[in-house]
Amino acid sequence: MITRIIALASVALTPVLVAAQQGAPASPPAPSAYPPYTRPVSTYAPPRTPDGQPDISGLYLAIPLPRNIETPLLPVTRPPNRANGEFSYSLNERPKLPPGAIVRPAGVDPADGKIPLRPEALARRKDIISKQEQIEHLDGRVLCLAPGIPRSTVPAPVVGYQIFQKPGYVVIFYEQSHLYRTIPLDGRPPLDPNIRKAMGVSRGRWEGNVLVVDVTNFTNNLENNWVIGAVSATPGIPAESLATGHGIPHSDRYRVTERYTPIDANTIHYEAIITDENVFTQPWTVAWYGFARAPKDYVPVEYACFEGNEKNLLLMTNTDISGVRVQVP
Amino acid sequence: MKGPVLLAAGTIAAALAIGAAAAAQAQRGAAPPRTPIPQTASAYNGPRSPDRKPDLNGIWQAVTTAHWNLEAHSASEGVPAGLSVVEGGSIPYQPAALAKRNENFQNRLTADPLRKCYLPGVPRATYLPFPFEITQTPKHIGIAYEFAHATRTIFLDGTPHLDDLDFWMGDARGRWEGDTLVVDTVSLGDRTWFDQAGNFHSDALKLVERFTPIDASHIAYEVTFDDAKVFTRPWKINLVLYRRMEKNLELLDYECAEHIYEKLFKKK
Repeated sequence: MITRIIALASVALTPVLVAAQQGAPASPPAPSAYPPYTRPVSTYAPPRTPDGQPDISGLYLAIPLPRNIETPLLPVTRPPNRANGEFSYSLNERPKLPPGAIVRPAGVDPADGKIPLRPEALARRKDIISKQEQIEHLDGRVLCLAPGIPRSTVPAPVVGYQIFQKPGYVVIFYEQSHLYRTIPLDGRPPLDPNIRKAMGVSRGRWEGNVLVVDVTNFTNNLENNWVIGAVSATPGIPAESLATGHGIPHSDRYRVTERYTPIDANTIHYEAIITDENVFTQPWTVAWYGFARAPKDYVPVEYACFEGNEKNLLLMTNTDISGVRVQVP
Repeated sequence: MKGPVLLAAGTIAAALAIGAAAAAQAQRGAAPPRTPIPQTASAYNGPRSPDRKPDLNGIWQAVTTAHWNLEAHSASEGVPAGLSVVEGGSIPYQPAALAKRNENFQNRLTADPLRKCYLPGVPRATYLPFPFEITQTPKHIGIAYEFAHATRTIFLDGTPHLDDLDFWMGDARGRWEGDTLVVDTVSLGDRTWFDQAGNFHSDALKLVERFTPIDASHIAYEVTFDDAKVFTRPWKINLVLYRRMEKNLELLDYECAEHIYEKLFKKK
């Protein structure tokens, strides 16, 4: 538990330190350097659960996005750092991409890798990034708020997943901040728009062996709830960049369609189409190889994020939350 | 349809097993032993999983005042009166620990870790006034709690307890004893309370929870608390867990930490 709290602090602080050392960013590679994205077509047929679902249950780890290719907008000379996917797998073997997988940026549509932010949303994001040291604009994940979708599947240092399946449901436990989602498969209607959840409200279905999940009803109550991206913004990164999730806003219209494609017995490819007419000029898509089956001896442990965070917030933002109490039922 | 077919298969398997035993005895020429066929202690008649365990999948909730106070208490502001859920009535504290509990009670509005939105711990998570969802598989049982999106994974696959780590929600290993799910939970640290009344424990706490389904929609929930640093002897609580029956029910959010920040940002 303690080591993981330290890891979170490191993630938050490292970009600033690294950026200070690295000087001016080099030119990004041309977007044409990457092959166009095509949704993977898998011939792998998973075994079936007792109720007939493709069986993808089990313990998984994230596969780090290869360094320097999160987005074509990112300088290629950036040194390795734990904040951008090149994190330590000291306890576990680092999961690898499946054979034949194409290494490419996570932002796959539009092809230029830019987030299609509306001008006002881009301005708002720049403003949030410029104030990112203030607690009101701090990365929600550093505050230990639930990071939403697809952010919970963005590779990060605390990245175990447990996929359960029971009749009529897929349930995902995220090791990060003990998040979870229950995904009903019975075609039930969405919830009343007045009900909001930090991880959204999920409705799933199997299309062949692919799990497709529509996620809606996201929380939008705090400035810090950013549902896409990784860590704090590195200075010099363009505000259209997906290299960080810092300050990408969303409205009540925000929704995501996820596709979980089993590639082989050990790998699941992840794709998320993001739509929010109030924030983006068009739907946009991120995709990566998201889940690698964990080693046999892997034991998920509790990551109690909020419980260890008071000193971290004091250090980072000079804000003392230790005296705040709330009424509970 | 599935239930009766599986039952029949089970009966056939049992018959085959008895037949094989009888045949083996006959071959040895000895009289068949008079060992009675073990009866299941449970009268459980509800649905079962494919591996023939009681099917606990679904959303459950305790209906109890245990969350305010495990022991008998009259009503006070915002707190409904309640009978004790403790076997024998009161918790067998050592004298110094009882003084500490009473101090906790006096300071409960600021000292209760739940008011800082810390994870509720075990067994408090079970009897908070919030639902929780059980996902049951042969190797793991996942419990997702609406309060603060707490979770537990109960390992049924023989994974040993982890050493030298503490967890707010403990380190849980389970097994089926007949139709009862028995869960040993250790490494709970010393920072959670059992209720709003300041009942507490040390890092020596060991819990044994017994989930015994009564029927398809009720579970008898018994917990044994063993903590030699705080109590004079092990003691138990007994509750009933109720299946939430509403159609299309699903867990919603009680993101407690969000409420901390809402309060903080409002103040600033």
